[in-house]
Amino acid sequence: MKLPVLPTTMVGSYSMPGWLERLKTDYFARRISRNDLDDIHDTVVKAAIKDQEIAGLDIVTDGELRRDNMIDYFIERLPGVHIDRSSKKFYYDFYDSEVVGKIPMAPLGLVEDFKFLLANTERVPKVCVTGPHSLTKRIRNKYYSSEAALAMDIARVMNMELKELVKVGAKLIQIDEPYYSGFPEDLDWGIAVLNALVEGVDAKIAVHICYGNRYGKPSWEGSYRYLFPRILEAKIDQLSLEFARRGGEDLELFREFSVPFELGAGVIDVKTHVAETPDIVAQRIRKVIEFVPAERVVILPDCGLFHVPHDIAFAKLRAMVQGAHTVRKEIGD
Amino acid sequence: MILHLNHTRRDSAAASTAEVVSSVLALLEEKRLMPAQFARLQMYLDWLQYKQNFREPVTVTLPPGGRAGAFPTEIRVDSRRVAPGTFRDSLRRAICSATAAEKDSAGRLYLEEFKSFRESIAWQFNRLYWQRLKDWEAASGKPYEQALPGGKSDGHNPDAIAESVAEFWTLLKDLESRNQLPPEVFLLEIGVGMGTRARMWLDSFSAIDRERGTNLYPRLRFLLGDYSMSTLERSRSTVKEHLELCSSIALDALDPIKTLSFLRHKILYVHSTNTYDNLPDEEVVWRGNRIYWVWARAYLPGEDAARIAALCDLPVSDVIKTIHRLLDVGPDCLSDRAKGMLFWMEIWKALRTEERLMDTMDLPDVSYPAGLSPTQMEDILQDAPGDLRFHLSTGALESFRNTLPLLHPRGYLQVQDIFVTDLHEYAMGFHGPGKLDGSIVNWVNGALLREVAERSGYNIHFVPFKYRPESKTSILYTTQRE
Repeated sequence: MKLPVLPTTMVGSYSMPGWLERLKTDYFARRISRNDLDDIHDTVVKAAIKDQEIAGLDIVTDGELRRDNMIDYFIERLPGVHIDRSSKKFYYDFYDSEVVGKIPMAPLGLVEDFKFLLANTERVPKVCVTGPHSLTKRIRNKYYSSEAALAMDIARVMNMELKELVKVGAKLIQIDEPYYSGFPEDLDWGIAVLNALVEGVDAKIAVHICYGNRYGKPSWEGSYRYLFPRILEAKIDQLSLEFARRGGEDLELFREFSVPFELGAGVIDVKTHVAETPDIVAQRIRKVIEFVPAERVVILPDCGLFHVPHDIAFAKLRAMVQGAHTVRKEIGD
Repeated sequence: MILHLNHTRRDSAAASTAEVVSSVLALLEEKRLMPAQFARLQMYLDWLQYKQNFREPVTVTLPPGGRAGAFPTEIRVDSRRVAPGTFRDSLRRAICSATAAEKDSAGRLYLEEFKSFRESIAWQFNRLYWQRLKDWEAASGKPYEQALPGGKSDGHNPDAIAESVAEFWTLLKDLESRNQLPPEVFLLEIGVGMGTRARMWLDSFSAIDRERGTNLYPRLRFLLGDYSMSTLERSRSTVKEHLELCSSIALDALDPIKTLSFLRHKILYVHSTNTYDNLPDEEVVWRGNRIYWVWARAYLPGEDAARIAALCDLPVSDVIKTIHRLLDVGPDCLSDRAKGMLFWMEIWKALRTEERLMDTMDLPDVSYPAGLSPTQMEDILQDAPGDLRFHLSTGALESFRNTLPLLHPRGYLQVQDIFVTDLHEYAMGFHGPGKLDGSIVNWVNGALLREVAERSGYNIHFVPFKYRPESKTSILYTTQRE
């Protein structure tokens, strides 16, 4: 499917309904079965896909509604990572986890999620994966000589999974690495790990780096300047950054460093519960294309819509799509 | 009958318990109390911390759906105030008042219908007090701080302030070392009062900054927040040495983000002292796996209404009208201002509330404080004692939830106040509402605050105020929840 100029997509997650939160917590309290929860997940994922299609997004995700949070869904599937299952009070809490031996190669089960997405949409599907650097920051390392070594081994296991995703049709894969912003000092080895993760993966690779969205609030503040020039060594195609909440000051970096990547430009603030108007979105997009040619820009929210109430999340997506349409017309596309 | 002993004062407990039991048994013998009524009677023995409060020494709470004539199932006794040998009469009177038709209720002058206490007229008196603090202080002859336990605010303790400043300075240095120090460093004091703490804090920061040569002081942007413009005005003169860094903001403590949304995620330090305990509140009862709401109705005892009317040269029939005028215009409600002040202070002293339990099922429009769902509440109560009356801390929860979005990712909130940190404590003491000078005071339900905090991405910690050993206050501070 051919994408228009300024294609629109979500970063990954869609609004988590309060009732689903309760059901997920019920599952942890053993009040509902795994079967029931899987069935519920299938239903909400279909609804999330449908919402994205109605809103008019060009690229869709599964809304990440099967996931408790961006970490646990992956570490639960990483063999060799020990999880304290009693450490969660609320489904969204992080597990306490540790690695005590070498992580063996094993499938992570993400392929099934992707197949489900593929079967339920005709739009371009995107699969989103939390990156090894972020995962490493949440696992207590009791085996590897360094965090970098642990991350590299996670990358090795995940690389195989990404290749499996490609085999079943994934053409666009997004790696989420928000923890870069909290630990800029890790970037040297972080980029090496990222490159190992995507080595030989025949798909368009996007990397999403924000300032955190845990509980719908930022985890860090600062400037994206810390990414440069090191990020230019990454074997990626697209860099997805947040600009709606933080303003467009860092766009200048794309010009200053002649960044060759596409830019996934965050033009929707996911930390307020007020929907932007299409005009505001269009204004933000115009600012972005002053620095990066429209042909290399993808339009998306600053981060996942997980914490945004459903009606507002949907309204934000609608406004984003309408804003993109406005600018497309202006540039004659 | 079930007797609940809700305090740990040994001397008053022994005497009052014996008298309660013998009085109830006597009423049973005299057939003033039927066996069926006796079987479902619950007696609560409290020891009210606040000498000034809204209760009679013996009060009756009508059961859900209770109407005049229904026999009470819940009777609360203030062990502190019941004089030895008088309990039996007080009990009989209280039962009569509660079961009599309204017009015969010992001549009580009702100021409102039954409603949640957070909507009670009592809070209008509280607001009037803060708006007319100068008038009250002039009439009472003492500044409001003298009404506080210890005679002054723990918020002004120099050692506590020095530690707070040192902690904040360390945070700024850490941010600076990571190149993350914002050019402008925002701080907010909610409920700034006379500005004494703000001045002491800024003096201390300025000194430490000068001593260490760090030049951080000029970056500070100190926001003085209070809902009373006259209070803000007074605080400005207190912080006159630091005026260039200070902004005065008329702020509703219940909703700071409404005024300061332009500083969302930008404030590094928010502080308040004795604000939460003075925000509108209400109580609920957890009994038999159900939640009941305590509704209240303010009244004046008949004899007090008559006494105050005589004191202020008013017909008794004008007392209610004059109260409403007082709440509108203050002590000028009477032509003689001094008499208006006397009227206010005497009415406030005499003000009482009757109570009634309301079943949640009968209140379809009832709402929990923002950030707290009925499901969460049920989860919290899973481990609570089976029969528990506690504060919802509605105002405090609202304020807390509407403050958190202001915090910078490395920012924190500190609240110095009186907290109940475990629900079980509610079964071991009285936590308000009480009267403190012309204002209302309630302990704050820290257990509920903790729940709301966790769902908002924060852990909260309560540290007893260590700088004055007899202090009952604690400092709540937030940390990021990973």
